[in-house]
Amino acid sequence: MTTPLLLDSLVRSLQVGSLYALMAVGLTLTFAVLRLPNFAHAELITVGAYVALVVSLFISGNPLLVMGAAFVVTALVALVSHRIVFRPLSKLNSSMYTLILASFALGLILRYTLFLLADRYDLFDKRIAVPLEIWFQNGQFTITNIFFWVVPTSLGLVLGLSLLLNYTPLGREMRALADNFSLAKVIGIPVEQVHDLTWLLVGGMAGVAGALWGIYTWVNPTVGWLAVLSVFAATVLGGMTSFSGTILGAYLVALSENTAMQFLNSWFGLDFSFKPAIPFVIIVLVLLVRPQGFTAKKT
Amino acid sequence: MQIDLIATAIALLTFFAISGLMAISLNLEYGLAGIPNFGKALFVSLGAYTAGWTYTRLLPRLHGVDALDPCGLTLGQAVQMRSEIMRTFPLEALGNFAITLLIAAVIGGAVGWLASYPALRLKEEWYLALVLLVGSEILRIVVRGYDPLICGTNGLSGIAQPFAWMGTLTGSPRVAALSFLAFALLLLAAVYLYAERLVRSPFGRLLKAVRENPDVAQELGKNVPRIRAGVMFIGSAIAAISGVLFAVNLGFVSTNDYAVALTLDVWVMVVLGGIGNNRGALLGAAIVTLLDRVTAITAIRLDMLGSEFEFNYVRFILFGIILLLMLRYRREGLLPEPVSTTGAQDVLARESAAAQGE
Repeated sequence: MTTPLLLDSLVRSLQVGSLYALMAVGLTLTFAVLRLPNFAHAELITVGAYVALVVSLFISGNPLLVMGAAFVVTALVALVSHRIVFRPLSKLNSSMYTLILASFALGLILRYTLFLLADRYDLFDKRIAVPLEIWFQNGQFTITNIFFWVVPTSLGLVLGLSLLLNYTPLGREMRALADNFSLAKVIGIPVEQVHDLTWLLVGGMAGVAGALWGIYTWVNPTVGWLAVLSVFAATVLGGMTSFSGTILGAYLVALSENTAMQFLNSWFGLDFSFKPAIPFVIIVLVLLVRPQGFTAKKT
Repeated sequence: MQIDLIATAIALLTFFAISGLMAISLNLEYGLAGIPNFGKALFVSLGAYTAGWTYTRLLPRLHGVDALDPCGLTLGQAVQMRSEIMRTFPLEALGNFAITLLIAAVIGGAVGWLASYPALRLKEEWYLALVLLVGSEILRIVVRGYDPLICGTNGLSGIAQPFAWMGTLTGSPRVAALSFLAFALLLLAAVYLYAERLVRSPFGRLLKAVRENPDVAQELGKNVPRIRAGVMFIGSAIAAISGVLFAVNLGFVSTNDYAVALTLDVWVMVVLGGIGNNRGALLGAAIVTLLDRVTAITAIRLDMLGSEFEFNYVRFILFGIILLLMLRYRREGLLPEPVSTTGAQDVLARESAAAQGE
C-alpha cells in the first residue's frame, strides 16, 4: 500500500470517526437516560442533513447557519417524537422490544416522508452547497476545508456535551436518571423536564451530525440509516452507556472501515463491497465475546 | 388499464400464503417463546439462496447434463436451460423443488439453532434482537459481494415455480399459477395445524413458561437454552421454506429482497394480528398482503394517470403508523392470545360442574 493511500485512509478515518462519535454519543445518551435503543436515531441524522441541504440551497451556504438550522429543527423533531411516540409508550410500561419496534416504526415514517418530499422537490443525492476549497493535494491524498469543519465541530460538540454532563445541574440530573431511575425520581428530579431536554440535545446533535455528514458526502433519505449501524457498533464497543468508550468505539469503527479495509484490500484482495459488513461483524463479536464493551468497569 | 381480477386474486392469495408462513414462524418464536427475532429476513433469505443454488447446480444434473456457470459468459444459456427444464420436465422440476425445500428446511433450522446460542451469553435480552438484525445484514452483504452463489449484486433470474410445466402441458399459464397457489395454501394449512398443535402441546406450555419468566422455568428444572434452540429450529425451518416459495414465486433471487424491510413487514403482521395467536398471525399476514397490493396497484394507476406522486413510499409510512397505533392502543393485537386449556383442565371443569350438580 502506498503512503498517500494510507494517509488518505487515515484522514478519512479521522473525519468519519469524529462524525460517528457525534452520532454515537446521542445514541448512548438516549440509551443511558431513557433506556431506549433508538433505531430512529438514523432518521434524526437524515432530517438534519435535509434541513442543512434546504437551507444551503435556498437561504445561505454559510456553514454555521446551515448547522444551526439543522440543530434547531432536528431538536424539535426529536422532542415531538418523544412526546407523541416514546413518552406514552414508556408510561404503559412497555418492554424493550416494544420500544425497539416503535423506534423502527417512527424511523420508517420519517424516512419515507423524506423520500416523498425529496421526490416531490427533486432532492436526491444532492451536495450541501457550502464552499469547497482544496487546501492540500498530493496524488491520492487530499485535504479540503471540509476537514476543518467536520473534525473540530464534531469534537467540540462531543466535548461540550461531556462538560455539560459532568459540570452542570442538568448533567447531574441526567446521570442520576441513568444510574437509578426510581431513586432519581424519588429524590425529586423533574423527570419529564430532564427527558425533554435530553431529547432536544440528542436531536440537535444528531441534526448537526447529519449536516456535517451531508457536507462530507451527499444527502439522500437513507444517509442516516446507512450510518446508524456503524454508530450502533461504536456504542456497543463502548458498552452502550459509557461516554468515553463510545467515542473510542467510534474512532475504532471508522478506522476499521477505512484504514483496516484498505489493508485487507491491498494484502488479501478483499473487495470493497464487503466494507459495510465490518461494523456488523464488530457488533456481533463484541456482544458475544465482551458484551460489557471494552471500557466498562468490571462489576 | 384493465385489471385482470382472477390473476390479481391468484397473486394476492399466493403472497398471502407465503407471508402467512413467515408470520406463523415469527409468532412461534416471539409470540409463544418470547424470542425477539429481528433477523427474520436472514432465515427467509437462506431458503431463497438455497433455491438459487439448487436451480443452477442441481437441476441440470438431475436432468443429466452438466451445470453451466450461471453468472459468466454462459449466463443467458444457463437461464434458458433451467427455464426449459422447468417448463418441460415435471419429474425434474418437482424433484428439484422437493430437494430444495428439504435442504432449505435443514439449513434454516440449523442456523436458527445456532442463532439461539448467543442468547446464552448476552448481557441484556434485547442484545439478541440486535445480533439477529445485524446477522441478517451481514449475510446479505456477504452474499452480495460473493459472486459464485447468486451472481452477487445481479441476482439470478429464471427461478421458475415448480408447476410451470403444467402451463406448457395444458397451454394455459393460469393452471400453473393455480397449482402453485394450491400447493402454497396446503403447505400453509399444514404449518398452521402443526403450530396450533404445538401451542397446545406440553412443549408449547413450556415455551410460554420460558416467555413469561425464564428464571422460574430454569429453576423448575427446565432446560431453557435447549427449549429456545428448539423453537428457533422450528421457526427458522419454516421461514426458510417460506423463502423458497418467495423466490420461486417472484422468479428470481436477489439480495435486495431480504433487507430489514422484510423483517419489519413480518413484525407488522404479528403485532397487528395478535402476538401469541396463530390465527392472528394469519389475519395480520392477510391485511399486510392486501395493503401491500393495494398500495402497489394504486402507485401504478397514479403513475399511468401521469401523477408525479410516488405512492410506493406511502406504504412504508402506513405500516409505520399501523405499528405505532397498535403498540399504543391495542397491544394484544386484533385477535388476542387465547387462554390455552389442557385435557386435565377440561376434566376438572366437568368434575366440578358435576359436583355442584349433586
